[in-house]
Amino acid sequence: MIALGQQIENKFLEAVNKKSGSNILECYQCGKCVSTCPVSSFMDFPPREIMQMVKLGLKEETYMANSMWFCLTCAACSSRCPREIDIPRVMEAIRHLAIEENVDPDNPKVKAIRKFHEIFLDMIKRYGRNYELRMMAEFNIRTRNLFKDMHLAPKALLKGKIPLGHEKVQRAKAIQRMFKMAEKLEKIK
Amino acid sequence: MTKLTYFPGCSAHGTSEEFDSTLKLVMKTLGVEMEELPDWNCCGATSAHVMTENLALALPLRNLVLAERLPNKTMGIACASCYSRMKTTKVEMDSHPELAKKINSTIVEEGEYKGVVDVKSMLQFFYEDIGPEAIAEKVVYPLKGLKVACYYGCLLTRPKSVTQFDSPEYPISMDRIMEALGAKPTAFDFKTECCGASFSISDTEIVLSLSGTILEMARESGAHAIVVACPLCQSNLDMRQPDIDKKAGTKYNIPVLYITQLMALAFGYPLKDLKPAKHIIPIEPALAHIGEEIETPEEKKKPRKVVEAESEVE
Repeated sequence: MIALGQQIENKFLEAVNKKSGSNILECYQCGKCVSTCPVSSFMDFPPREIMQMVKLGLKEETYMANSMWFCLTCAACSSRCPREIDIPRVMEAIRHLAIEENVDPDNPKVKAIRKFHEIFLDMIKRYGRNYELRMMAEFNIRTRNLFKDMHLAPKALLKGKIPLGHEKVQRAKAIQRMFKMAEKLEKIK
Repeated sequence: MTKLTYFPGCSAHGTSEEFDSTLKLVMKTLGVEMEELPDWNCCGATSAHVMTENLALALPLRNLVLAERLPNKTMGIACASCYSRMKTTKVEMDSHPELAKKINSTIVEEGEYKGVVDVKSMLQFFYEDIGPEAIAEKVVYPLKGLKVACYYGCLLTRPKSVTQFDSPEYPISMDRIMEALGAKPTAFDFKTECCGASFSISDTEIVLSLSGTILEMARESGAHAIVVACPLCQSNLDMRQPDIDKKAGTKYNIPVLYITQLMALAFGYPLKDLKPAKHIIPIEPALAHIGEEIETPEEKKKPRKVVEAESEVE
């Protein structure tokens, strides 16, 4: 039995609050974020429901949702939130916790989005800069979808939209060291 | 002469080369000397902050530290996403010295962050440091007759705590610059709605849906063209437009121009300098409206009033 006024331990809520710098308990479920969010209709649970799930400590269910992976960080929700909660940062905090604990929803779209970001970071690690043509090609190879957007390629290349050649940072070693150090810092926490 | 450190970003040397080249022309006319940041690196864009905490700050921080080696007080950033990451990092570093120390340790050989260089988007630089009046003075070919929907996207004005610029809901800086050029900004409600950004590659359906609505709203506002200041917005609205048309059964044919392309045109540079061939949706039909008289709403109402008057007589 829980006595009146007794604090219920909610480690998930504490972790999300700490990482995001917001207090999710302040959310009063008005739903303004949902009506503002351009991708809420693509989400398993819109931002308002994610807030409530964190409040209730439903960690596994939250991690299994695609919502944090679809968040565009466009900050439309947080500009309108009457409780001034930084919702994109809350979404980010949950996503980082899920990555730390190595869980992600078994959802092909989320896997593709994750793969995209991994390839993007890998490219920066190697060259210091991104190159759109190589990015698209690697994404297609690694998601085994070779012909995605191929209809755009001839036109884009003909119009000189995409140059043939990858610019690189001269001191690429500094970038590689940065990646190594940042990874180390990530583990210290 | 005003001096500015220039951060182009990966797109300016790739898909948005016409943004980069017209920006340089415009700055020449405005008397601003741009110095490209030597050995700049990718800001990490969406991916770094989606996947990691520290890298999302470390990548932009290296650029901020490199910028402090130059004597210029401001760094102007072409891409909205680079701008957002760089300004976010600046705000975080300036307000959390402990965090700054920690992140700085990953790039220790590049130097120590001091926080002496300001970070601005090119739109912000044009609006605050040059001003619509000074821009109007340089116009030799007014864009009178051209109706434009000014599309800001998310990151140029949001979040307000980071950008400290214009309104997050209904910004007007680009509209004012367009007026200075002689063009007419339309009443466009989707100024700051997201285009779908990097989902262009990873989940194209989202971009087709979000960018499709933006095109629809621009068409409804009566615009001949959409004006942007972000390479990703441009590529989603222009390069993806045939896909959007195919999916929704529409035929928008709305060209998407960079703010600097229209500035260059109004400053007297020839059409070929705008690199029209780079656009998937041709820009020439929209530019052909320059010189036309724009009907004012009052004029439009007139014939209707006549009809009403007649029916009253009956």
